Amino acid sequence: MAKYIIRRFFEMILTLFIIATATFFLLEAVPGDPLTERAEKLPVEARDALYARYGLDKPVMERYVTQMANMLQGDFGESFVYAGQTVSGLLHDRLPVSARLGIQQMLLGVVVGLLLGILAALKRGTIADYFVVGLSVLLISIPHLVFGLMLQKVFAGTLQLFPTIGWPTGSDLWLGGWEYTVLPTLTGCFSYIATYARLLKSSMLDVVNQDYVLTAESKGLSRATVVRKHILRNSFIPVMTQLPMSVAMCITGSFFIESIFSIPGIGQYYVTAVNNQDLSIVLGLTVLLSLLYIVVLFITDVLYAVVDPRISMPGNSSR
Amino acid sequence: MAENITKNSSQSSAAAAAGSKGLTPDQFKVIGFTQEEANKIERPTISYWQDAWRRLRKNPVAMGALVVLGLLVIMVIIGPHIRGYDYINMNVVEKNQGPSGKYWFGTDSLGRDLFSRVWVGARASVIIALVATALKMVIGTLYGAAMAHFGGWVDDIMMRIIEVINSLPNLLITILIMMILGNNLFALLVALSITAWCNTARQTRGLIKQLKESEYVYAAEVLGASPMRIIIKHYVPNMISILLLDASTAIPNFIFTEAGLSFLGIGLTSPEISLGVLISQGQQTLDFYPTQLLFPCVVLCVIVMAFNLLGDGLRDALDPKLRK
Repeated sequence: MAKYIIRRFFEMILTLFIIATATFFLLEAVPGDPLTERAEKLPVEARDALYARYGLDKPVMERYVTQMANMLQGDFGESFVYAGQTVSGLLHDRLPVSARLGIQQMLLGVVVGLLLGILAALKRGTIADYFVVGLSVLLISIPHLVFGLMLQKVFAGTLQLFPTIGWPTGSDLWLGGWEYTVLPTLTGCFSYIATYARLLKSSMLDVVNQDYVLTAESKGLSRATVVRKHILRNSFIPVMTQLPMSVAMCITGSFFIESIFSIPGIGQYYVTAVNNQDLSIVLGLTVLLSLLYIVVLFITDVLYAVVDPRISMPGNSSR
Repeated sequence: MAENITKNSSQSSAAAAAGSKGLTPDQFKVIGFTQEEANKIERPTISYWQDAWRRLRKNPVAMGALVVLGLLVIMVIIGPHIRGYDYINMNVVEKNQGPSGKYWFGTDSLGRDLFSRVWVGARASVIIALVATALKMVIGTLYGAAMAHFGGWVDDIMMRIIEVINSLPNLLITILIMMILGNNLFALLVALSITAWCNTARQTRGLIKQLKESEYVYAAEVLGASPMRIIIKHYVPNMISILLLDASTAIPNFIFTEAGLSFLGIGLTSPEISLGVLISQGQQTLDFYPTQLLFPCVVLCVIVMAFNLLGDGLRDALDPKLRK
């Protein structure tokens, strides 16, 4: 057990190192640098000073070593484009915004999705079933992008029920300004609803035909007990494997939604930084977001190993 | 053949048993029954694909999706030429028109016929999705086959590479690649398929490893079948349905991602035309001329939905577990 966790931990460190290195050299390969435009009209001395300020006058390998050393100490660098904008500052300002959006979407989507899945599986062949199946196909086929724009047009534009764009800040960061969060949350939660409704329904239908369900029913247990203790518990396994992916994705997965509703989240800034060729920010954010993702996956792997000891046995370790 | 032998032997043993009680075989005669007739299969034999097709045809939803896809293919080919208007050069006199008899979908903010533009855009989106899917399948199967074939430390290292790619948020890599290679079609194809092949590779690896161990492949080897024959007769038919499903789920994803990236300004950009580009242009005039956003969105949704429904139908038709 401990051995498994230690091994996974070192794998995680190695993966992060590879990601940081690969991203650094990939970004080096981008032609030109973000300072070119700023430095164009400057006198030579000022240009040299500017390059020295960001350390761009040094050879690649030296910058690589400095960058890695800085990252180890938690210094992820400063924006080339906006002076004084640091990666850690960005995270401090913008991560909570993305996190709230992601968490709201996921909670709403997963809960509604699971309920619909249970409904569809238990009422198989009825109108409720067809409704859920149709709804999930519809929801999965309409991209976030289109959904977001439609909701924005109808509810914010025509009906004026909610604000078009914006996001609560300051003291409202976590618990206030709900009217701003309704449309983005709805937009994002639809794909969760579709995914989880389909997943739980198919898994429940697998379980319903198992012998132990027949046994439980023939023992004379009530329908509710059979469903709760035998069917639901066993059909949650696929859901439990999907859930960590959703948790890991929930912060980074809202690029489109943040862009549509002008939400000052981390994804939106990432896109801006890419468009500005702001290499240091892109590098820092890539590494940090990957870190977040990997750590979530690591924690869930460890939890799995705790819950199901078979996983850490040799041969089953590779996901 | 084995059945014949047991049948014959059981017949003769029954005859022998009867003979011991004073009955001889010549007291019995066969009426209207010959060995050939007993073994004849009345129904024509059908292959796996005929069977799958038969089942798919019984599924009205999947057939509907297939018909819609057929119409879409026709439309993306001839659609831009139906009205014969110029969809590239601007025509300021007739800009921002609503749908009418002249312009079925209206015109955009530069006066270009939206009907033609939507089909040109859909053409680009579908081609991008198909090429990216082909790339994903080819790279994935070759990579997976290499993993399964070499095994050992090669397998370990190749698997580790997949794990590194998989442990990054997909969209992050896609955007990163677009940044490095620039906004063009080639970059978009690379960016879309760079993460997608991992899943195919894993599936292929698992399938081949499983097939290698299976008894019928072993039997074929013992009977002296050449590796080529084993690959064509056993590996390919057993893998193709799963890979087909993989592809059918990949296509709508690619269309969706392309539209999203182009919308963010990271994918294709105007003057290129794709559904994503059209949607992002439509969003700019959303407040006053919502039809400019509506039509590209509807076409996008119809394409994605048709592929999804067809994929669902294919899954039911191809999955041997559901056979009765």
